[in-house]
Amino acid sequence: MTETVTQTVTQTLAIVTLTFREALRRRLIAAFAVITVGLVGISAWGFERLSHNSHLTSGEVQVSMPQSLILFMFMFSFVVALSASTMSSPAISAEVESGVLQAVVARPLRRSQVLLGKWLGLAAVLALYAAVVCALEFAVVYWVSGFVPPDPVAVGAYLFAEGMVLLTLALLLSTRLSTLATGVVAVALFGAAWLAGVVGALGAGFDISALRQVGSVARYVLPTDGLWHGAIYYLEPSSFVSHRLAQSVDVKGNPFFASAPPTWAYLVWAGVWLVVALAAALVSFDRREL
Amino acid sequence: MSLDSWGEPTAAPFPSPPRPSPPSMAEGAERPGSSSPAIHTMELSKRYRRTVALRGLSMTVRRGEVFGFLGPNGAGKTTTVKLLLGLARPTGGEALVLGAPTGDRATRRKIGYLPELFRFQSWLTAREVLTLHCRLLVLPRSQAATAVDDALHAVGLWTRADDKVGTFSKGMQQRLGLGSALLGDPSLVVLDEPTSALDPVGRHDVRQIIRDLRDRGATVFLNTHLLAEAEQVCDRVAVVDRGRTIATGSLAELLGGRTSVRLRVGGLPGRWWEGLSRFGHWAPEGAWARVEAVNPDEVPDLVRAVVGLGGRVEAVVPEHQSLEDRFLELLGDRSTAGQPGSQPGSQPGGQA
Repeated sequence: MTETVTQTVTQTLAIVTLTFREALRRRLIAAFAVITVGLVGISAWGFERLSHNSHLTSGEVQVSMPQSLILFMFMFSFVVALSASTMSSPAISAEVESGVLQAVVARPLRRSQVLLGKWLGLAAVLALYAAVVCALEFAVVYWVSGFVPPDPVAVGAYLFAEGMVLLTLALLLSTRLSTLATGVVAVALFGAAWLAGVVGALGAGFDISALRQVGSVARYVLPTDGLWHGAIYYLEPSSFVSHRLAQSVDVKGNPFFASAPPTWAYLVWAGVWLVVALAAALVSFDRREL
Repeated sequence: MSLDSWGEPTAAPFPSPPRPSPPSMAEGAERPGSSSPAIHTMELSKRYRRTVALRGLSMTVRRGEVFGFLGPNGAGKTTTVKLLLGLARPTGGEALVLGAPTGDRATRRKIGYLPELFRFQSWLTAREVLTLHCRLLVLPRSQAATAVDDALHAVGLWTRADDKVGTFSKGMQQRLGLGSALLGDPSLVVLDEPTSALDPVGRHDVRQIIRDLRDRGATVFLNTHLLAEAEQVCDRVAVVDRGRTIATGSLAELLGGRTSVRLRVGGLPGRWWEGLSRFGHWAPEGAWARVEAVNPDEVPDLVRAVVGLGGRVEAVVPEHQSLEDRFLELLGDRSTAGQPGSQPGSQPGGQA
């Protein structure tokens, strides 16, 4: 029994390591690294200009800092989502199409080990990327402006969780669709979920229940936007939140503002969503004929 | 096997193994020295929506033999291999590999497989690919290092061991696939078109590897449409067409009794052979006469009979029927007989 468990772990770890190394060796990751460094550089310049602008009052600077950081982090959230999707889209489909997977699956391991190994390997790459992006961006912003978000670790965790949702979705699609179709559908759904969140925010702003419902439903169907709002909340100092809430109705319609963190119930739902999507991917891959 | 028995696999001359009882089909059912066949299929069928790739394929591959699985494109050869390895699920029938149901995880440890689509991680070196497969086989590290080195030597990739697979030619990638199939001392090696990308030297090497595998007691299931290859290395073959086995047996059984002899005889009048019909069917061929379906053992008697007639035997040329001739003959028979519902080349699962 113990031997079987050891063998299962050894085989799964072999797939995890293989996936991690493959993702790091791809030029795609190098391209994302270049984009990230470029964005961090632009943000450094922007925050330096903002913090040393004599035309702004200190109060205005205190408000504009988190708002600007949220906008930059939105870009990074997009890069994280895009990298999650592009990494996992070919994970199964491309290897089935090329025949690489046939030699692997014929070995004495379960298909679930292969899929789980790939999921964990990609998750490790995503975690590394999210950690590096947040550390780099927050360090640079602190260095040029002295501003630090209230909970940088939570921001990184939410970005990672958002990426994991898309990564798992793309992996699920990859068990059935081609690489291209998987990538297109995953990114389109991510965009649609974000847009639905904006529509929901507008619905809240203008008190239109139908629109507000769209946003709420979308956050449950694909929890990327809901988790992104968790990241937003932990980028905002409490003074910023109370200041914006003290303002009039417009904050409710602002898609780049969160007045409260996601509820525990929502986080549990996001966890359930991930587990269900992963289970669906496991079943789908197990039933796929190679 | 008699010629009359070639129509259907159920008429195969060798005894069918007893149908295993369900308890023996548990995971890891194979035991050392087990007498179960290496492969046994019973009415194995596979349907892809409207297309039938396999329609009741039955065959038995004995342990320790090199078994050629022959058939034209679309016959269902690759589909059969995929079913045997658990890469696809049958829609009917049953198959046992090394005494266990197809796809059994413990049994797969004893199977080496070279896929028809031999592709490996292009960013890994040959050594890394083989090491990965050793880890998937859960070989101990010390054993894995030796196994990798042995495989690299066996397939002639030793000097390119640390080069990226992406820089390899197709032939070298096929060699690597073969090396991967040799890892872990497999009891059964399934080779799906193993020489499709190889040059003559490579093909020679593969034949030698197959013979070496047989010498150490492994079973080799060779899926090929290169009949000359099968003729050189196989102990027995099955010919499959349109998803069914149409002939099974040793090469001697398949080709035995089918020798033709050409004779050039002087000193006798025209149609001198008319009194010698007991040796076979005669036909003139220019200055020669051909007698077909001669028992090879009777050729000396034939020559003696011709001399007895007063003929001067100038030349005797035995012509053995090649596997290719027999293969085409079998397929021709099938085509003439017709198969209701069968559409040649309409089985995409057969040859991916």
